Amino acid sequence: MSAPRGPAWLVWLETTRLAEVMRREPLLFPLVEVVHILGFVLLVGAAVMFDLRLLGLSRRLPVVELARHLLPWARGGLAVVVPSGVLLFLPQALHLGTSPVFGLKLALIVLAGLNSLLFHRGVFRSVQTWNTETVAPPAARVAAGVSLVLWTGVITCGRMLAYL
Amino acid sequence: MMRTSSWAGVLGALWLSGSAFAHHGWSGYDSERPMTLTGVIRESGYDNPHGYIVLEGDARTWHVVLAPPARMQNRGLPREALAEGAEATVEGHPHRTTPDELRAERITVGGRTVELR
Repeated sequence: MSAPRGPAWLVWLETTRLAEVMRREPLLFPLVEVVHILGFVLLVGAAVMFDLRLLGLSRRLPVVELARHLLPWARGGLAVVVPSGVLLFLPQALHLGTSPVFGLKLALIVLAGLNSLLFHRGVFRSVQTWNTETVAPPAARVAAGVSLVLWTGVITCGRMLAYL
Repeated sequence: MMRTSSWAGVLGALWLSGSAFAHHGWSGYDSERPMTLTGVIRESGYDNPHGYIVLEGDARTWHVVLAPPARMQNRGLPREALAEGAEATVEGHPHRTTPDELRAERITVGGRTVELR
């Protein structure tokens, strides 16, 4: 592009060497997209499975054990999503950095993180009283529902970026 | 039996909504207004996520959005084909709100026509 125009920091990002490599290597960009999606599969997949348990599915599974199993995968997914997302952002920094859809996607991710934090600092502390074979407290079910809605929104925004 | 057919129904519905969705992906471009532009390439980018050319025609200069570079490579449209100064013809659809932007369905350059979709 001839002399990209916009906020200086976005112009800088878009003209970095790394941005150039992402733009020019034909297969690198789609491969990083694959990695980004795999990261989201782990992160959102783990979150959704946990949310469904909180909402009452598979009540025989202890919530504590499920959390122990799924949380590391979700964290690993996040660790894949962020750097791959940065790589995908760079070559189109001006477009994405000024896109309301991208802003919304990031905001929803932050909200999902806060929701998870509130859950773990809050109702999850009493998990031993609703660990198995019982209905999770309303606060846990609300957190699960909010999580499902937020992650669905994140994925929708991510996909819509290519179209809006 | 019931389960199989209801799953088939769900998959069918997903497929239908998927293709409808794919169509909406192009909603930024006016599919009712096919256009053919011929001009000289003044600038080109063999870039991800989409290549582009700046095409200087008789009356106007257009920003033409092409396919991802990997696809252009596969279809036999190498980076060199989009050299500055080359004459090109593109068929596509204009953007609804961004003036002078066209999304190309196919491009003819150097005597060769390449499908971009």
